[in-house]
This record gives sequence, structure tokens and C-alpha cells, in this order.
Amino acid sequence: MVSVINTVDTSHEDMIHDAQMDYYGTRLATCSSDRSVKIFDVRNGGQILIADLRGHEGPVWQVAWAHPMYGNILASCSYDRKVIIWKEENGTWEKTYEYTGHDSSVNSVCWAPHNYGLILACGSSDGAISLLSYTGDGQWEVKKISNAHTIGCNAVSWAPAVVPGSLIEQPSGQKPNYIKRFASGGCDNLVKIWKEEDGQWKEEQKLEAHSDWVRDVAWAPSIGLPTSTIASCSQDGRVFIWTCDDASGNSWSPKLLHKFNDVVWHVSWSITANILAVSGGDNKVTLWKESVDGLWACISDVNKGQGGVSAVTEGQQNEQ
Amino acid sequence: MEEPDAEPPLTVRAGAAGPLRRTAPGRPSPHVASSPPPPAPFPQVLPGADPARTQLCFAWGPAEMLLCETLFGRRGGERRRAPGGSAGPAGCGAAGGGDGAAGAARVFVVRGDRDVYVETLRKLFNESHGIFVGLQRCEEERAARARNAQLVQVSKNYRSVIRACMEDMHQAAISTRDSALQSQYSIQVSILSAMELIWNLCEILFVEAAPAGPLLLRLLDWVQLHICDVDNMVREVLSSENPSKHKLFWNVVDIFVLQGRMDEARHLLSKEAIANPTSMNMYKILDDLMKKMPVPSLGNTQTLTEMELKWQHWHEECQRYLQDGTFASNSHMESICKILLGDENAILEKKELMTTWYHFLVTRLLYSHPTVKPMELRFYAQSSMDMFLGEESSPEPLDTILMAAFEFELHQVIKECSVALSNWWFVAHLTDLLDHCKLLQSHNLYFGSNMREFLLLEYASGLFSHHSLWQLGVDYFDHCPEYGRVYLELHIERIPLNTEQKALKVLRICEQRQMHEQVRSICKIMAMKALRNNRLGSALSWSIRAKDAAFATLISDRFLKDYCERGCFSDLDLIDNLGPSMLLSDRLTFLGKYREFHRLYGEKRFSEAARLLLMLMTAHIAPCSFWMTLLTDALPLLEQKEVIFSAEQTYELMRCLEDLTAGKLDRQKFQDDDVETMKVEMLRLALARNLARVIVKEGTLEGS
Repeated sequence: MVSVINTVDTSHEDMIHDAQMDYYGTRLATCSSDRSVKIFDVRNGGQILIADLRGHEGPVWQVAWAHPMYGNILASCSYDRKVIIWKEENGTWEKTYEYTGHDSSVNSVCWAPHNYGLILACGSSDGAISLLSYTGDGQWEVKKISNAHTIGCNAVSWAPAVVPGSLIEQPSGQKPNYIKRFASGGCDNLVKIWKEEDGQWKEEQKLEAHSDWVRDVAWAPSIGLPTSTIASCSQDGRVFIWTCDDASGNSWSPKLLHKFNDVVWHVSWSITANILAVSGGDNKVTLWKESVDGLWACISDVNKGQGGVSAVTEGQQNEQ
Repeated sequence: MEEPDAEPPLTVRAGAAGPLRRTAPGRPSPHVASSPPPPAPFPQVLPGADPARTQLCFAWGPAEMLLCETLFGRRGGERRRAPGGSAGPAGCGAAGGGDGAAGAARVFVVRGDRDVYVETLRKLFNESHGIFVGLQRCEEERAARARNAQLVQVSKNYRSVIRACMEDMHQAAISTRDSALQSQYSIQVSILSAMELIWNLCEILFVEAAPAGPLLLRLLDWVQLHICDVDNMVREVLSSENPSKHKLFWNVVDIFVLQGRMDEARHLLSKEAIANPTSMNMYKILDDLMKKMPVPSLGNTQTLTEMELKWQHWHEECQRYLQDGTFASNSHMESICKILLGDENAILEKKELMTTWYHFLVTRLLYSHPTVKPMELRFYAQSSMDMFLGEESSPEPLDTILMAAFEFELHQVIKECSVALSNWWFVAHLTDLLDHCKLLQSHNLYFGSNMREFLLLEYASGLFSHHSLWQLGVDYFDHCPEYGRVYLELHIERIPLNTEQKALKVLRICEQRQMHEQVRSICKIMAMKALRNNRLGSALSWSIRAKDAAFATLISDRFLKDYCERGCFSDLDLIDNLGPSMLLSDRLTFLGKYREFHRLYGEKRFSEAARLLLMLMTAHIAPCSFWMTLLTDALPLLEQKEVIFSAEQTYELMRCLEDLTAGKLDRQKFQDDDVETMKVEMLRLALARNLARVIVKEGTLEGS
């Protein structure tokens, strides 16, 4: 059974839009319509405010923690069109970089797998996706994909790093040849997959199935299988699970997880990718697990997935 | 739409006797497949969350989940929606402009599987881990019987761990004054007791696979061990001065008979006979019948057929005595005789003394079909349950599990246990054992051996959320051939590396398993941490271990900067003993060699030092930015009484100096910097003087 082990009173003066734990579950970052980003130490059930970061001029939509090997770094994006990267230096949190290259609200930020370096993808209502890469010495390089989605981009999510070819250890100093990919969802009802080729980002795939704005995409962590899995959710109330069986990433096929009665806003995968959390406009969070026969089932107990499962029937599944 | 309030599967609630034994009547069966999804746990568990007003934002933490109340409609652009949707105000909310949501600015940290944090269960996890690993690694006995004995022993070991834990928990319950805690402990005890009950039955039916004959004996033991409700009564009667006068005397005799404890029953009855001489005859006959009752033997002293024959004769004898009215004047003894004859009604009359249907089942079998075969159990089980429970009660989860076991539906047992119990410990270990008994493959499960792995993965994943139990989890993942490794990779990265010690522990685990990515990642994280805390030596050794050239360069630069500022090196030990790892990065190599120069100078090995110094510049190991420092270091060597640099070397040095000054772009600035200019002048002078001396020296013939 689930139980609340800690209630963090953030003292935000307005609605919270995102809350994220850091890599180890020791710190919590929250952001709000009150334009601030707050960081709390939540070890051992406590809640100590470490930082109250001001810098945005509008509601802050999302926060994202970078991998700890780069230090304590947090990114935030806001209605004020800015992406701010914050860093903890000598015990205090400060703004370390600010990107103002978008013309409209930035809706989503997502850090790339640490193996690629320190790279942040940002999706904006101006339809563009920007990629900010740290090049050293406080410098960031920007690559922009303009018109990634017409009307606007709502979500970005990176594919897990998979080293192509053999998995023998690379000699020191040599970077393995990663194929970098990420997925995005937009107001053109599409999920798109982007791939970096020769230093340029190209649209690799267009996944069509939704009939309204795509609100969120989430690329599942890899558990070593050759399949890739992406979850997408939309204004149309549907959540799709996309899978691609071959390594070249060519054929993606959607499976309808469920059709909800209202907008679905958010999807996210657990760290071993065995549970998908769905936040719906029906004011609930439901958890889903794939059973061995390929059907997705809602679990009512976050721990259980086997016994307390009732499978979504074929009929419900094929419903469009 | 939604089904009416199905209780979430068996949560532990204060006051309940335990999830397996008492739930609300009429709870729908959990394995109905085609109903709509059951209600989600969120927002039900969140205190004060108002689903009518706000939506829930969700995020996964490494071991927990985050939920906060929010309104999604604010975000994401000017979206006009038909009214009735919950998209909130179309378009993004104006900056600020709260809707009074301040009170709801809370984030809930939620976790499942709290059992991992229960102190008293710690022993259970630790010791069962030892048994589990032992089972995976032990040499399989070749002979079937020996193998069977081996597995039964493992099963018994698991059960004794459960019992030990129960005992601890019980002690904790009686020694605490906190009534909430007490109730919590009591519930835990009852859960553990139920687990042991189930496990014991599974051991009899599946692990030992007791055949007809011994099967009944094992079941009798099982009942005797677990039906303790009557122990107080027994004790009371036995310890009274005049047991046969005790009002509960006959109850206790009945209990003994029902549990097949013939000797004890006879002993008590003898007291009655002494107290009541008029019933001596009846007593003698009954006693004789009880003494003669044939029971299956454990050894091979008789075949089943022989036993059945004997039993048939005995049964007929009992029948005769009953029909003759031998016991007519003593209703208690008559009832006992009926029980001996397996009269279901007579047995059922003693319902209160048996307390459970499975006790009833075993008693029935004892007195009507002692040579029952394993596969026949299901019929007796179902009918026993029906007869015992009657119309008023419906089966509870524990009953369903036991029934599934009697029906040899392994898959069902595992599934039901998964639902009923609050963590994966039980099903993971039991299933693993059953898998070793090669039982999961022969059954038509659509998981096959994947069921075992699935459960072990879930269990071990749960362990990883605990600050020290995660180490146990490693071994479990190791024994999951398909996904164990990748699960370990994903989980081990999330262990907070609070101390160097812990980091080393985690590293060792990764290195042993050739998890190179994780090793690198951990070393990089530790290097970064050390650097941020200004522990350069530690940072350097971590980046060497991570084979992170870029970071090593960065740190070497810091070292060199420190040297320039303070005139000495920190962490000399480390730099002196770099060895071949010096080659990781050019800057690091320079650092190592530069330190070596200082060492040589300190040991007064001047010509070697000089050679090294020069080489650092000419071989371009030293970064240009450092040349000035190096040349300045050469000064004392140039001004020694003895000539150290050869002519050629001096020319080289001069060339380096010229390169350096020529290369300075900002010549204006350079010329204005008095200190710099002075240094250059001094160097030029020293070099020239040295050249002069060395030419003379080299030109002078030896001895002349």
C-alpha cells in the first residue's frame, strides 16, 4: 500500500506546476506561478528550504535536475520565454546561464543522458526546440530547431543512451559514438523523433495517432531490450504507447493504453520502466503496468502489479 | 463506470486482526478480469486533497513518488476548449494572479512498501537473504530423494526465520506502552503467522510433495502447530486440581481427539474413569478403540493397502460399538465415538473448538480417509470449507490462498499471496523455492520461470530504497538471468554516495560485475563532489579512476594554480605516486613531471632536474602559460656555483625565453608590467652569464 511519508509545505504563493526529486531523492525542486523555484533538502522526512531562486518573470512550468556528475545543476523554464540554468557553487545556488532565444512560453525542459555531456532540450510555444550544450568555462552553445511543431511544442523527452555496436570498454579519452535522439510532442497533434546527424538535428520520425494537441511525451528507460518505447498523452484524452522493435528506429507502432474522459496532461515512467504514471484531467493519477501478454493494466496499488490487476479488455483497448 | 468501493487490496489498518484474516464481507474476488480499472490510489491517500478543485501533478523519485496539487489548464498556450472540460481558463494564466491556491502549495512524498523500513523485519530480510543465496549456490544433489531433502531443509530454514521474526515482533508488542505501536506489532505478528501457515502447507504439498500416508501425518502436524486458539483452554484444564471436574474438561478431550492427539486424549479420559467408576466399562472400550486406531506410518512398515484394510476393520468395530448403544449413557463419549467414525455432523458440532475449516478438513480426513492422496485433497477441501462456513460467512483471502494450495493451483497461490500481502518478500522467496523444485515449469503458467524473476526483481527493487538493505538487493539481481543486470545498473546509480566509504562499496560491486559505465559515472560524481569541497587530491584520484581526461586536466590546472599562488604543492603523496596514470592527460603528465622536477631539486640532483625542466618546455609538455614559471624556476639552477646547464641547454633555454617574449601578443602590456620585464631581464642576464661560464668550462681541457 502507499502512504504519505512526508508533506512538504513549500510556501509557494501560487499554484505549483512541477516538483522533481534529484537523482538520489535527497533534494526536491519545485516551481510555481509565483515565479520562483525552490529547493528543499528532504532527507529523513525533513523539509529544509535550501534556496528560493528568483529570476523568472512569469509562471515557471518545469524544473529538471542534471546528472550529479556535473555538480548540482537545475534547469527551469517559464512563461516568460526564458530558460534558466541554476548551479550550486560554494554552498549557494546562483543563476549560471540564461537563455532568452524563444519568442514564447517555454513549456518543457529535459536533460540529455549524461553520457552525451551536459545538454538541455527545451520546447516552446513558439514551435521551436532549442538545445543548449555546455562547452566548458561557463559557455553554452545553442542549436535551434525552428518550426519543430506548428503552433507550439509542449514536451521534450530524451531517448536513453545506448552505445551502438559492441559494448567493450572504450579506451580512455575516446568518446563512444552515441546516436542521440529525443522525442517531442506538439500542438500539431504529432509526436516527433529527432536524431542528430553530423552535428545537425533532423526530424527522423513523425508519429501520428492523436487527434488533438499532444501534451506530454516520455521515452522509457532502457532495460536492455532492442525495443524502444515512448508514451504520449493528449488533449484528446488518449494515451498511446509507441514501440519500435528494430534498432534502426524505423517502424513505430502505437498501442492505445486507455481513453480517458478528459485531457491527459502528463505521463512518466518509473526508473526501471515497468510502471507508467498518467495524470489526467479527471483529477486522478493512475498507474499502469504491462502484463506478460502485452496488455496494459491499471494497478490500484503502486506495489502490486500482478495480483490486483484487472486487464483492460480487448474491447476497451481498441476503442478509438 | 467505476465499480463500487472495492477496498484497496488488503491494506493494513489499525484495529484489524490482519489483512488475511478479517476483511469486510462480500469483498469481490480479485481475479475478475473484465471489470473496468479499479480506483487509483491517488488522490485517495492524500490528506486534504480536493479532487473537485485541483488536479494532481506526479513525478517519480528514485524510491518514492511525488504528488502535488496543480491546475494543468494554466500551462501550454491559448487553447480554447468547450466548456465542461477541466482545462481551466483558456490560455495561460496571467503572471501571478493566484486563485487562492496558496493553501494547497504542498508536495506529498509518497512511498509504497514501508515494510522495508520496519526495524523488526530487518532480521527477516537479512537472514532470508542468506538462505536465498545459499540455495542458488548450493550444489544440487543428484539423487532425487537427497535433492528433495535438501529443498525441504531450505524450506524449514525459511520458516524458522519467519517464526524467529514473529517471536521478536511479539516481544516488541508486549514490551511497548505505545498502544498504536502495539497494535501495529500485533498485526505484523498475525501476518507473519499467516505467512508461516501458508508456507508450511506449501512445503508439505509442493516441496516435500508428501505422498498418501505421510501426507495426513504432515497435515495433522500442521494443524496442531497452527491452531493455537485452544491452547489456553488446554492449559487451564490440565493445570487444575481436578481436571475431570473442570467445566471445560470434555472440550479439551474433544480437542485432542479432533487433532488426532490420541495419547493425550486417553490420558485425560483415564482421569475421568478414575473419578467416575460407573463409566469404567465404556471408558475401557473407548480407550481401546483409540489405542488401536491405525495411522499411516512414516517408515515403510506397511503398505497403504495394508493400512487401509486394518483401518476398515477398525472402523467397522467402532461402528458396532456405537450401534450397540455402548456409549448411549454418556453423550460425550458417544460423540467421541461418532467422531472416530468420521461422522461429519458430529465433527461439525465441535466447530468452535476447531475454529477453521482447514482444521475441519484434516479431522475429516483423519477419520474418514486417512490414506488420502494429494490429488484428492481438492474435493475434500472445497466441501469442508462449504460445510464449515455455511451460509453466513464467505471465504477470506487466507482461505482462498489455502484452497488454491489444496487444489495444487500454484499460480493461483502465488497470485493471491501477491495481492494479499503488503510486500513482495513472501512470494519472491516462496516462488524461487518452488522454481528450484522444478514446479513452475511443469505447470501451465504463462510466466514459466519468468514469474520467479519478475517477483525477485520487484522484491529486490524495493530493497534498494533502503539505505543499507540495498546491499542484499544486489545478490537478488545477480540471480535474475534476464533483467537482473540492467535492473542493478539502473538502481545502483541512484544510491546516494554520502561517504567515500559508501562510494567505494558501490564501486566494488560495479567493478566485480564489469559495469564500466556505472564505475565511470560514480567516479565522476565523486570527483565533482571533491572538487566542490576543494579536496583536490581526492578529486584527482577519482578522475583518474574514472579515466576522465578532461576532469583530470581541470584539476591539474587547479593544482598548478595553487602552486603559483602559494608556492607549494598540496597532496604530494598523490602526485608523487601517479605512475602510469599520469598519462591520462597532458596536463596531468606535466603536473607529475613538474613535481618530479621539484623533488630532484630538493634532492640536489641538479643536472637531472635541469634536464627535466628543459624537456618540459622543449617537448611541449608544459603549457605555454607556465613557461614563465618554469624559466623562473631555472634561475636558481643558473646561479649555482657549479655550472649545471650545458651550452646547448643554455641555448635552448634562451630560445624558449625568446619564444615566450616574442609570442606575447600584448607586447605593450608586457612591457609595461615591471615585474615581468624585470624577470625577463634577470633571466637574460643569468642565461648569458651561464653561457659564458659553460663555454669556458667546456672549452677547458681536462687537467690543463
